[in-house]
Amino acid sequence: MNSADDAASQTTEDDPQIPESHHAPPPPSQPHPPPVVAPPAPPPNPPASAHARARPRYELKHSLSGHTMSISSVKFSPDGTLLASCAADNVAKLWLSDIAWSPNSVYLATASDDHTIRIWDVDSGLTSKVLKGHTSYVFCINYNTEGTQLVSGGCDGDVKIWNATKGRCTKTLNAHLDYVTAVHFNRDGSLIVSCSLDGLIRIWSLPSGQCLKTLAEGHDAICQHVQFSPNSKYILSTAHDSAIRLWDFQTSRCLKTYVGHQNAKYCIAACFSVTGGKWIVSGSEDTKIYLWDLQSREVMQVLDGHHGEFPGFVISSQTHPQQNMIASGSIDSDLTVKVWVDRGST
Amino acid sequence: MNTSLLNPFNITYPTAVQASLPSQCTLARFDRSGRFVAAGRSDGSAAIWDLETRAAVRWLEGHVKGITSVDWSRNSRFVLTSSKDWNAIVWDLASDIDPPQRRTTIRFDAPVSSASFHPRNSQIILALLQSGDAYLVDLRKKHRGRVELEEAHDDSDEESSTSPRSAMTVAHFDPTGRHIFVGTSTGSILVFNTRTKTIVARHKIPGAGVMKGFDFAKSGRRLVTNSSDRTLRQFTLPIYPPPIADRECTEQELEPTHRFSDPINRTAWHAMSFSPDGEWLAGGAADPASHKIYIWDIANDGQLASTLDGGREPLIYVHWHPSKPSIVSTTNHGNILIWHCPSPERWGAFAGGFEEVDENVEYEEREDEFDIVNLSLIQSYLFEEDESVLAKRKMRQEEEEVDILTGKDAEEDIVDHLRFNGDEDDFFWADDEPDEDERGWRMKIVMEDDDMI
Repeated sequence: MNSADDAASQTTEDDPQIPESHHAPPPPSQPHPPPVVAPPAPPPNPPASAHARARPRYELKHSLSGHTMSISSVKFSPDGTLLASCAADNVAKLWLSDIAWSPNSVYLATASDDHTIRIWDVDSGLTSKVLKGHTSYVFCINYNTEGTQLVSGGCDGDVKIWNATKGRCTKTLNAHLDYVTAVHFNRDGSLIVSCSLDGLIRIWSLPSGQCLKTLAEGHDAICQHVQFSPNSKYILSTAHDSAIRLWDFQTSRCLKTYVGHQNAKYCIAACFSVTGGKWIVSGSEDTKIYLWDLQSREVMQVLDGHHGEFPGFVISSQTHPQQNMIASGSIDSDLTVKVWVDRGST
Repeated sequence: MNTSLLNPFNITYPTAVQASLPSQCTLARFDRSGRFVAAGRSDGSAAIWDLETRAAVRWLEGHVKGITSVDWSRNSRFVLTSSKDWNAIVWDLASDIDPPQRRTTIRFDAPVSSASFHPRNSQIILALLQSGDAYLVDLRKKHRGRVELEEAHDDSDEESSTSPRSAMTVAHFDPTGRHIFVGTSTGSILVFNTRTKTIVARHKIPGAGVMKGFDFAKSGRRLVTNSSDRTLRQFTLPIYPPPIADRECTEQELEPTHRFSDPINRTAWHAMSFSPDGEWLAGGAADPASHKIYIWDIANDGQLASTLDGGREPLIYVHWHPSKPSIVSTTNHGNILIWHCPSPERWGAFAGGFEEVDENVEYEEREDEFDIVNLSLIQSYLFEEDESVLAKRKMRQEEEEVDILTGKDAEEDIVDHLRFNGDEDDFFWADDEPDEDERGWRMKIVMEDDDMI
């Protein structure tokens, strides 16, 4: 589960089932798997001559329902045609905490509370590989750029690196003392960044597995998500003091801080949006999605769409790789994945 | 990218074996990115190893006799293998089918000693046969053909018209592809223009004996030769004028700038390889009892910097990584050794905010630095101001623009910068009908079956 609070774990139904891919043809609105095809092309991007600080104008385009429990992760496929989401409901006693697409958009890797990682062939819906080795819940996974390796973080503090084609663990790093909440490869696969509930962000060198750096800021800033910037020179981290930080890890300096949202309990992922204007996108515990201007750190837009009886914490959001589109999933009673499209700035 | 975090001392040659890959191969070469190694075996097959995962990812089966050389196209999509079975085969690693299909088979009438791609266009191939002849094969539609590289006969020299033509024993493109360098059995280097296939220069190397191997520094201005007198010679190459119809071939003796040899045992050399910056030269010794690689420091007058010991299995081949201080060498037991600069674990990296220092530092503290301050009204006011001043300063610092998109560009072809004035013809000729070896092609991920171990 995505929550830092153990008591929030929920029970589910009985029979072990593999994720929804095996259900008989689901209605078109049902999310992954089979994943939803992205909606038709959004309005064309604003012309290049548009003001550099043009505001984003995202609107709710689709609401995808089908999950019966809280959504922990949403991810666009790298080729932009599919959206995958995972939740606590898929398999009995088998929560999925995170999913990752292989770079060729053919395979999907899922990290689960049964201590394994599964690699699924998206077209056939069959499990291609089961990666065993973690000794506790697997919380986060990611592929490298080439698709040949996977990195995963477990709740016992271990980070494991796997050969994705063979399905074998090639390295284990005793990276942290608490849940590893995020792991990410840099672009050329030479570094891994990991963060954990122990409050530290660590950078590791591959293939040696040596720790190169540790970043930490303050006692309150327990970090729960971290990733490299598109050019892998910077790190974006989200922390429990309701702040998102952009770090230059070479100098250990925090270059930008983004505030205005709420994040004190759950693991909320922030991400970069670079398809149109340059924004930082993040969910929030006040049910909204915030967009900040990357350079000025101003809040440029707040998306309000997740409603329900109980406050819906937007846990997961992700930007489309090519289009100005955001997908968000939340812990709330409306249990939908929402897709937002930028209708273009004037 | 992480070298600045890892290597403060900038030692640029490898010192220890990082990994040993059991490949049953005789020779191994890095591709231009340094991510893959192509390994040729004596049974005729070749394997492609991915160094990130240290696993063999493709098998190239087709030759029926031992592989004599392997070469990569510049973006690593195509692999060229030559073999004693009289053939050279071009393989396409982007092919959807596994094992990869052969793209082209080129047949000759003698065992092929070596074959290499033109650096700019993998459809132009240079092949050297064991019979002592060298051919330039062009697979492009408009230029299709095969030309034998022949020394022009010099009628005024009576000796050459009566004595048998010397055999060609080494053939290599220079890094720009403009010229082909050929070594002969009589210790000469012949320089041909690739486009016109005519000889532009002949260099006699006194005392060398049979030419056995060449390696160029990336810049193309320096060449190291290996010959039967067991000495490696480094030359600074002259600039060759563009070929004009009537121009005679330049005859010039070249003096080496450096000579490298093993003064004690007079061991011969199997292979040699420049470092990517041309500052170091690695020589693989033909020592029958041990695996030795000599490293010479070219910048420092060619002094011997180090001798790497790779154990008991004698060396067969050596190749330096295209960009890192890393070397691949093969042993006669078939193992591939990957050498690297080991970096010691920095335990200080586990604690944020700590810096490791080499020696104790005497710290001079200010008189009031560690005083406990009473929070009187005035002082609390001062504290607040300090905090807000700090906060303001931080806000100002955060105004700086950050660029998250431009990355370290893929290494530009140094070749592209080597344009000599006035002779673009050679480049236009080579770039005509470009091959399909484009940057950014991806090798298909093939999931291995579980029962294959």
